[in-house]
Amino acid sequence: MSDSVAPAKTEQKRAINRLKSMYPLRNLVAQDYINTLQASNEGKPTVWAMLNYWEGDLPLKAMGLNIVYPENYSTLMASSGTAEPFLDASDSDGFPTHMCGYGRSTIGYSFRMMKQNDGKIPPEAPMGGMAKPTLLLGSGIICDARFKWFQALSRYFDAPEWCLEMPMMGTFEGTEPDLEEYQVKFLVRELRDFIAFLEKLLGKKMDWAKLEELIEVGIKIHETCWQIHELRKVSPCPMHSTDFWSSMPPALFFAGDMYEALKCYQDMLTEVQERVKNKVAAINYPEKYRIVFAELPPWHSLKFFDNLAEMGWNFVYESYGYHNPRPPDLSKVSDPVEKLARLSRNFVFNVHPYAKADGIENPIVETYLRIAKGWKADGLFLHPLISCRAASAGLRSVQDQLQKRLDVPTLWVEGDIIDKRVFNPQETLARAEAFEQTMEHYRKVRKSRGLDW
Amino acid sequence: MAIATNKGLSLAREIYADRSKRVRELRRDGKKIVGYICLYPPVEIITALGLVPFRIFGDMSEPITAADRVSTTMVCPFVRSILDLGLKGKFDFLDGVVGAHTCDIGAGIILQWRDAIKDAPFTHLLDVPHTDHAPAVDYFEGQINSFKRHIEELAGEKLTDDKLKKACEMHNEQRKLVRQLYDLRKPDPPLLSSAENLEVMVALSSLPVEEGNSLLEDIIQEVTERKVKPSPKKVRLLVWGPVFDNTALYDLIESADAHVVVDDTCVGTRAFWADVKPPYNLHALAQHYLVDIKCPRTYRQAEPFETRRDYDKDLDSRFNYIKKAIVDWGVNGVVLQSVKYCDTHGYEVPNLRHYLDTLGIPSIYIEHDYSERSMAPIKTRVEAFVETLG
Ligand code: SF4
Ligand code: SF4
Repeated sequence: MSDSVAPAKTEQKRAINRLKSMYPLRNLVAQDYINTLQASNEGKPTVWAMLNYWEGDLPLKAMGLNIVYPENYSTLMASSGTAEPFLDASDSDGFPTHMCGYGRSTIGYSFRMMKQNDGKIPPEAPMGGMAKPTLLLGSGIICDARFKWFQALSRYFDAPEWCLEMPMMGTFEGTEPDLEEYQVKFLVRELRDFIAFLEKLLGKKMDWAKLEELIEVGIKIHETCWQIHELRKVSPCPMHSTDFWSSMPPALFFAGDMYEALKCYQDMLTEVQERVKNKVAAINYPEKYRIVFAELPPWHSLKFFDNLAEMGWNFVYESYGYHNPRPPDLSKVSDPVEKLARLSRNFVFNVHPYAKADGIENPIVETYLRIAKGWKADGLFLHPLISCRAASAGLRSVQDQLQKRLDVPTLWVEGDIIDKRVFNPQETLARAEAFEQTMEHYRKVRKSRGLDW
Repeated sequence: MAIATNKGLSLAREIYADRSKRVRELRRDGKKIVGYICLYPPVEIITALGLVPFRIFGDMSEPITAADRVSTTMVCPFVRSILDLGLKGKFDFLDGVVGAHTCDIGAGIILQWRDAIKDAPFTHLLDVPHTDHAPAVDYFEGQINSFKRHIEELAGEKLTDDKLKKACEMHNEQRKLVRQLYDLRKPDPPLLSSAENLEVMVALSSLPVEEGNSLLEDIIQEVTERKVKPSPKKVRLLVWGPVFDNTALYDLIESADAHVVVDDTCVGTRAFWADVKPPYNLHALAQHYLVDIKCPRTYRQAEPFETRRDYDKDLDSRFNYIKKAIVDWGVNGVVLQSVKYCDTHGYEVPNLRHYLDTLGIPSIYIEHDYSERSMAPIKTRVEAFVETLG
């Protein structure tokens, strides 16, 4: 998720005008890797978790567990150029090559650790590596890889696994009357079982007061993040996508110390507010085009965004799957488990009512229509991935509907989160230049239709 | 009706070659036809409401062209093929389409159907939980109930306990007959080829349950009595994997001096191993589909709440029904086939192969893109595999 966790370097004049407040957030995730390694050395429990949109993160944290997220670690492998031997290791152990690059890197890492390195961290692992897990937490949100890949890890680890549930529905069924209460009831039962399982595993009771407190901090983090990204609607946009990707782990999976994270996001909000007040852009070139990025970035080639910034391309929003929505008002909910259920469910279902009103069945499409309108996008950069179905499958519909409904054009660039061979930055830059004319053309078309950007 | 002029295996072949022929006739006679995708929409409810369930497959011989407009090339080609046929108007005989969240890509078909294909007046997407946990079974029961309420509108009538009981019994009868059909391949040589078997299975998914049942009865009698039988071959194989609805793979394997005698695929045995249990209510259906059907799309483990995972126990709890089939059908090799980009099955491959290794059963993994064209390169590998078993 973060492009690097190395300490902040001295700021030089670069194409992208990075937020200073991003660096401490970027560094927070490093704490988790260090803490987990330390815990493991001391014989304490350690968790590998999939992104679970908070329903698992908070109970784990309240129980004092040390967690790392292989999805995040895979991005570190990709951005540090160390993924390939792990991908090869996954292939050599018989896993099909067409599957999620994150999954394959983790599988290769586990294979190297358990089958070739006597249970120790492979020496080539970046960032000191991920400590051996004593619990695996899979999740049913978004993609099947999130639980199937962890189940496959039984090949290497005797760690137990729990799979978290989350209903996944389109607009029609997802807006049925009374559905929310019925789903919350289901999620509450599941979460109570999960907590009972944790208590059994750890031989201690849940610290309910701590859980409640963390949920409240989590909600504040999400509210602050939401405010930050709302400010990106102004022109020039004060925060670039690369800053979002670098700073997202403490909101996406509550990486690091949550109290510290909240403070860092508040600092970020202040910095972004300052930029808005002073009309400071996220790029050090005049903002010619406001671009939205869908969905997961090429972690191995983030430098490429500098080239686009030099052309005046400001990336004003990105990766809906990594953004938290504005948290719902849970002040009247007293049961922490129910709060958790509602907070997580809101990630999946917050856009369904709008999709229904617009007559759109796929909520992802609705999400991008709202983003394009709200952030006044001149174009969308669509990045379908060879190894992630979830982030790619809906993009043709996004492309189609944005063009039809809003006259917002899209640039379609195939690539991958891990495999850098399928992404060609030079060719993409050439296509980007040509795409500028298309964006100019559709600006005029939108104006003629009475749209305000 | 044209349907009566043909019988038994030859009728199954006729329907296999022209799947919609019979349901189009039924539609002309006033029946409503409900297409369903994958194994998880409970066909019992469709039947009980007087509707005809028709399983939707893609077409491995039809190049995917129209689907590129709505889907990307990096998703399951089976899904893309269905979308392609839908966009080309080839499901115009359906009054309704029911999909299920069996995998996250498969669920997308219904969303696309509503946004892009638009040609069936009724569509429903059934949410299927990811695990077989007890709360998940209850949640699924509620989802089946929503589906029931919705499809009652299409049927114009209410589901009663009686109608559901009768439908469950008819579908259970079909499950029993299918198991008898598979028994015909227990002898060596088997009494039925795997391609013939697949034609029957595809035909069943294209007919009302009562017609399917009488077709099965005819076929079982015909095969038991027929003089010409498949010739003996060197090895007996089990084929595993997601959807495979075309005889091409079976022909290819059987041309390599092997019989496929049993399978664990979602066009073959997967929907037929277990019966829906009485009392025939919505909870029984939830239990049947979520717990009793063994498809890798559902997360299951040896014991809920286990605090230490024992690899061998875990594998045995997930795959011992395959072990049973291996023993009962005298299998000496397994072909694991999967559609490219299928995550639910892909992650299963090394673990299942390991399990088979512990049983002393050799296996091979082959991948295809759900096209007849992609069979050719597989041939050499299958031949080499059969060679090692001989
Ligand atoms: S969403 Fe895509 S990249 Fe993320 S875990 Fe799932 S398949 Fe992998
Ligand atoms: S073949 Fe696999 S990916 Fe395709 S619809 Fe079936 S389960 Fe899903």
